[in-house]
Amino acid sequence: MYSKLVQRCFDDCVNDFTTKSLHSKEEGCVMRCVDKYLKGSERLGQRFQEQNAAMMQGQMPGR
Amino acid sequence: MSFLFGGRPQPSSAEKIAAAETEVEMVSDMFNRLVQSCTKKCIPTDYREGDLNKGESVCLDRCVSKFFEVNVKVSEKMQGEAAGRAGGMGMGM
Repeated sequence: MYSKLVQRCFDDCVNDFTTKSLHSKEEGCVMRCVDKYLKGSERLGQRFQEQNAAMMQGQMPGR
Repeated sequence: MSFLFGGRPQPSSAEKIAAAETEVEMVSDMFNRLVQSCTKKCIPTDYREGDLNKGESVCLDRCVSKFFEVNVKVSEKMQGEAAGRAGGMGMGM
């Protein structure tokens, strides 16, 4: 998950290779990207659990 | 008392553990795919803020629902086809 996040935020935020290190705009983008991705996957985790539980209940009613 | 009822062989605990492991692996693989697809589809790549906004949140919620629905549809269809093949056996596999 960590490496995926690095790849995602790198791909989305860093496109300019005229300098060697991240400039502040890129750095800000990376920070927001990580923030947003973590919040998003937390939310997805909650919904996933709900749906998964509902599906299991549908499969074996009364258990 | 299960021996009274013709005792279907109980899966050994090792088998149960293996089955549970496979299950956990499948579910977590599915979850990883879901995160990948839904974040890609719902979260624009300009990252103007670090929080999820309303639209993104709603999109993620719906994305999970649809992902599950697709999952069910595909599994139904594949089961149907497997059953069709099993029914038509002997007619040139």
